[in-house]
Amino acid sequence: MSNANITNDEIQAVFPKVSATMADALGCDVEEVKLDASLIADLGAESIDFLDIIFRLERSFKVKIPRGKIVEEARGDLSEAEFEHGGVLSEAGFERLKTFLNEVPADRFKAPMKSAEIPRLFTTATFCKMVIRQQRNAATTADSQPA
Amino acid sequence: MDDHFRAFSFVDRISSVESGIRISGSYTVPAQLESFPAPLVAEAVGQLAAWAAMSATDFRFRPVAGIAASIEMLAPVRPGQNLELNATLETLDDEAIAYEGTAHADGTLVIRLENCVGPMVPIKEFDDPQALRNRFALLRGAGAEPGGFKDLPPLPLNLIPGEPGQSLRATFSTPHSAPFFNDHFPRRPVFPGTLLMHSNLQLAAALAAGFPAPTAGERWAIRRVTNMKLRSFTQPGEELEIEARLNQIGNDAATVTVQTRNGTRGVSTARVHFVPEKSA
Repeated sequence: MSNANITNDEIQAVFPKVSATMADALGCDVEEVKLDASLIADLGAESIDFLDIIFRLERSFKVKIPRGKIVEEARGDLSEAEFEHGGVLSEAGFERLKTFLNEVPADRFKAPMKSAEIPRLFTTATFCKMVIRQQRNAATTADSQPA
Repeated sequence: MDDHFRAFSFVDRISSVESGIRISGSYTVPAQLESFPAPLVAEAVGQLAAWAAMSATDFRFRPVAGIAASIEMLAPVRPGQNLELNATLETLDDEAIAYEGTAHADGTLVIRLENCVGPMVPIKEFDDPQALRNRFALLRGAGAEPGGFKDLPPLPLNLIPGEPGQSLRATFSTPHSAPFFNDHFPRRPVFPGTLLMHSNLQLAAALAAGFPAPTAGERWAIRRVTNMKLRSFTQPGEELEIEARLNQIGNDAATVTVQTRNGTRGVSTARVHFVPEKSA
């Protein structure tokens, strides 16, 4: 699902709960969890922390967050071959990623970029958007259920 | 005798399974042991959940210890007691399992695990899938012969004096070889996360021994571990450094943060919660 139309107001609405959840998971002060903080570079997160944060967000927001699917979502309608070659993002894939992760400051995108390096870009706002997308998905699913 | 399914296996029987939803089983703590520490009780619950996960994925994946948001240690377990084990799976897929579980010893709730998460790994890298299938069939049927676990080898901490009552460090060497490595896991030996937790609790308790007594005739006892997180596999023969640091202390509770590292690599983190208990 595209996230281009996620508004700043929507992000601000979920941010307090997301930042508190992330602070709990990372064992840091909530004040350190800024919206543009890089989870890995600024908050010292490791892969197990990502798993922890996602499960905590699922419980906290009562949504189902598809783990490991963020790259798939970023790829959108590009095929895998169009998105990356040999683990390195293509030019089209790189531009698609910049659009998808538009909350990440532009100077953090360095080409050529390996797919494995994508999580290094994730910020608190990335997780806010992840929650918002799943809240929208849940609302859409609920609306489509027969009364 | 083969150590597989003996040296570090804590489920004797699986009494019921709802695939991917819940599982129940039991384990008899060998009577000849001197003690059976709480982390091994937690291991038993985790192993039961692992059987549920492995069988639900047709033995393609198995979980490994990752995160335990809360482990409440409510009563000690004595050798010879029968543990009734239960686990409920919140989520299970090829990437992770999330579950909660309990152990009762002769009817008394002794441990409760909440919001545990285990990353799933390909079974064949760690163990023989067919051997696991066969073992699962045995546990679901007649059950395994109790008493396979013979005890842990000595796992001493080398204490490094810190600031009394505030922090304490220790070096800890995982053994180069031990029977439990043949069970955990046969194709890729990994130092069990629950034994690392055991070492963490020992260091936290050593630090707490220097705290002011809650009141006369009382001592600090471990009641709960929260935010236990295993950050990387620990191999046989690793040299680890563990640090326990007082987080906060009051009249009726104290909290200690414990971190384990190998050089700059983070191995584990946990928060250990103490409550006053009457001295023996």
